[in-house]
Amino acid sequence: MATPIGASPTYVGNPSLQNVDGADKITGRARYVGDMTVPGMLVGKVLRSAVPHARIVELDVTPALAVAGVRAAITHRDFVDNGPFGWPVRDAFVLAYRKVRYVGDPIAAVAADTAEAAQAGIEAIRVTYELLPVISDMAAALDPGAPQIPEVSPTGKGNLCATHLLRNGDPDSLLAGGQVILEATYSLPHQEHAYLETEGALAIPEPGGGVTVYANCQSPHIARDTAALVLGLEPSLVRVIQPFVGGAFGGKDDIVYQTTAQVAKLALLAGRPVRLVLSRPESMAASYKRESMKSRITLAADSDGTLRAAKVAITVDSGAYASMSPMTAWRATMHAAGAYRYQAVHVDTQVLYTNNGYSGAFRGFGNTPASAAAELAIDELAERLGRDPLEFRLQNCLRSGDCTMTGVRTPGGAGLAACLEWVRDRSDWATKRAAYDEQRAVGAGVDSRRSRRGIGVACYFHGSGLGGEGVDFATARLAVDADYGITLTAGLTDFGQGSRTVFSLLAAETLGVRMDRIRVLRPDTQTALDSGPTVASRASIVGGNAVRVTAQKIGHVLTLAAADLLGCAPERILRSGEAYIGPAEDPISFEAVVDHARTMGLQLSADGRWQVRPIEWDFERGTGEPYFAYVFGAQVAEVEVSAVTGRTRVLKIWAAHDAGTILYPKGALGQMYGGIAQGLGYALMEDFRFEAGMPQALDFDRYRIPRAMDIPDIEGTYIQMLPVGTGQPPVGTGQPGGPYGAKNLAEPVMIATAPAIANAFAQATGRRVRSMPLPLWNG
Amino acid sequence: MANKILVAATINGEPTEFLCEPQQSLLEGLRDVLGLTGAKEGCNDGNCGACSVLLDGRLVNSCLVLAAEIQGREVTSIEGLATWQGLHPLQQAFIDEDALQCGFCTPGMIIAAKALLDRDPDPTEERIRAWLSGNLCRCTGYDKIVRAVQAAAAAMRSEVTV
Ligand code: FES
Ligand code: FES
Repeated sequence: MATPIGASPTYVGNPSLQNVDGADKITGRARYVGDMTVPGMLVGKVLRSAVPHARIVELDVTPALAVAGVRAAITHRDFVDNGPFGWPVRDAFVLAYRKVRYVGDPIAAVAADTAEAAQAGIEAIRVTYELLPVISDMAAALDPGAPQIPEVSPTGKGNLCATHLLRNGDPDSLLAGGQVILEATYSLPHQEHAYLETEGALAIPEPGGGVTVYANCQSPHIARDTAALVLGLEPSLVRVIQPFVGGAFGGKDDIVYQTTAQVAKLALLAGRPVRLVLSRPESMAASYKRESMKSRITLAADSDGTLRAAKVAITVDSGAYASMSPMTAWRATMHAAGAYRYQAVHVDTQVLYTNNGYSGAFRGFGNTPASAAAELAIDELAERLGRDPLEFRLQNCLRSGDCTMTGVRTPGGAGLAACLEWVRDRSDWATKRAAYDEQRAVGAGVDSRRSRRGIGVACYFHGSGLGGEGVDFATARLAVDADYGITLTAGLTDFGQGSRTVFSLLAAETLGVRMDRIRVLRPDTQTALDSGPTVASRASIVGGNAVRVTAQKIGHVLTLAAADLLGCAPERILRSGEAYIGPAEDPISFEAVVDHARTMGLQLSADGRWQVRPIEWDFERGTGEPYFAYVFGAQVAEVEVSAVTGRTRVLKIWAAHDAGTILYPKGALGQMYGGIAQGLGYALMEDFRFEAGMPQALDFDRYRIPRAMDIPDIEGTYIQMLPVGTGQPPVGTGQPGGPYGAKNLAEPVMIATAPAIANAFAQATGRRVRSMPLPLWNG
Repeated sequence: MANKILVAATINGEPTEFLCEPQQSLLEGLRDVLGLTGAKEGCNDGNCGACSVLLDGRLVNSCLVLAAEIQGREVTSIEGLATWQGLHPLQQAFIDEDALQCGFCTPGMIIAAKALLDRDPDPTEERIRAWLSGNLCRCTGYDKIVRAVQAAAAAMRSEVTV
């Protein structure tokens, strides 16, 4: 490799970097699936269940086909083996087979000339149900008489979907001898992703029997494989392309695979393109949610405040289908006692089927509710010990070299203490904490009758990548084009989190070229190699590394060509900007080197793959190494609770995240603020409730998400590993193997927000709440 | 269809005529009839602001306005903001401040912010937050959006004084 002149990178961490898609997005030019039209396009529409649990007695779509303008109508019968899909459990159907299991379950679909005709078609479909008992409470899911919700129980035990365990040492003996014990149960609600763009897909039948689908899913390869299987087509005949995606946060997997297969079938039958975009109420009913969770936590500490042991029992409401819940529950299990040093920890987790919608991936992936519960418990324990909650955390938090709750040494170090100290100092913690304690003690004065203030803290750790959830790899492809631009095809995708910008800057940085030479193609199963799912904040780390190794391959070829042109050994070449410099001659341009490489017959395209070091988790015994690395962070929230309205208002949030090298600083801050806003919603207003299986809010009027006015001032920082050579010691920690030392950040930043707010509420009101969202305070 | 309505209006400065159904919303008219897909449908019930446009300079949710209602009136959507001289200062500021992620709320946000700055060239942060509270964004946490509006306001004020 040629040696770059000057050690400081040009693009990595450059604060002026902007989103590569910015110009398309601010002009309205960016096309999302609902913006796309093609001639002859039909409108697709789905008939969905209005009841939470029923046997389908009769289902007949022929009356729909008689409606003027209806061109195709489908049910489960139109798919191979009735269209089952899903991973890790194949318990879902493209369209309901034999039963409906939640309100919103798709039953049949039509394609018609107009939206009105499609609606008339849906209304003409004949369907009769035999209602079945509804399970809406997890506690009843395993009752002896409970109706079994899935067609086949994955555990052989009725509505028990999955179990996990973690075994580290023997907590029971420590609990018995522990001096201070806390035992409490915490409940976390379902949360709706509420991406601003609903799910949708546009299918175009192709000559030769294939079909191309533009779908706003997160992982086009999985959408393709799912559709090919249920359509009975070779995967090569199904092409899935991801257009611009209006937000996902983990929520555009299964539901969009299902939609993709539905429109593909309709288009193939009608012989015309079909577009189907869900309405907001339809999306809210049909799409999967963050799981609701109950976490029963027992903690033991010595009277000097040293944490000793934890036992946690978790139940996860998976709803009607497994989707990713077995995996989110595994992640919850690995994080259930929080980012602290323990001598022993046991966790036992059950995932249960109910008729409450269904649950799957959502930012934080099981760790968001698990850590919220743990952080409420830690705060209560600190109070019982008479300790300041922040100092108590500092005393017990994971530091480099410590073992996590699973009993393995933190790989790559832990920057958690630095994060806690940063939020403590910036928030003026000690002064405010004391003042607000006093306000409560006195309880007098006009202000304290009208409103009370409190300040609270929470922290987190978050295992990087998929961990034991699957093989963690990604691919990339780069090619130098005839006009000296460079086309980049990445297997992992961008649905708003800025990966396209990160990939561009990594390719430009590694190749030593201008960033505007890089063009990132839209993800397309025809051009991109499979990279597995874009989940678990993998894009920057795993996808970024794949881009880096691919760029290194092309960079190597270009260096050889430059050496040949300059008549020197490759090691002698230096770079200045884009130019290549040899020992003797004038610098030569990137273009000249590319031209010369072509005359030498060298290939200027390459594929690359990067895989995370494999880790070992023994699911049977609950032991092993769950993740190759962790990220850490801490947040402080200051709140004011009104005695008049009972409402909690967040005044300010301080957030520090140990993120290694920040690749794209503006994007990283956006991720942080966005995550905090979602965490604030989780704490204060977002509660996707089911009553007897009926969803209680299907619009933004009743399901409120934070608006600009709800968001306080946020002071955030990334504790970064300082570049080598600055003479200063590193504060945070880099990730072993992350591109340029980067760690992931998209998901974990939201984890601390809700518990920090709840802990602040507890100080303000003197009331410990063990469920979210927080209630109105009634004095 | 027999009962279509012929609407004549000024859309993004251009005199425009189009046919619409009596029931059709302005959002559907813009998107489905005129092919102006910059305004988005996020909820279709007035709660998200993704469909924001200016109607005679006033901020409206185009999903709540009938297409037929714009007869003889002026509509500005995101497509009408940039001119031959370049981007509107708000558009530039949204790029510079990186005030977008998925971008789905962005057209509506920019339009809503324009309506504010047209009225109040120097709004406080609180006013900006209150004004933009009709526009949902699930990605950004609003911080960079507020910064962008402040930056654009400053840029527009200095333009005026120069
Ligand atoms: S689409 Fe009009 S306000 Fe949401
Ligand atoms: S940028 Fe995604 S909703 Fe605002």
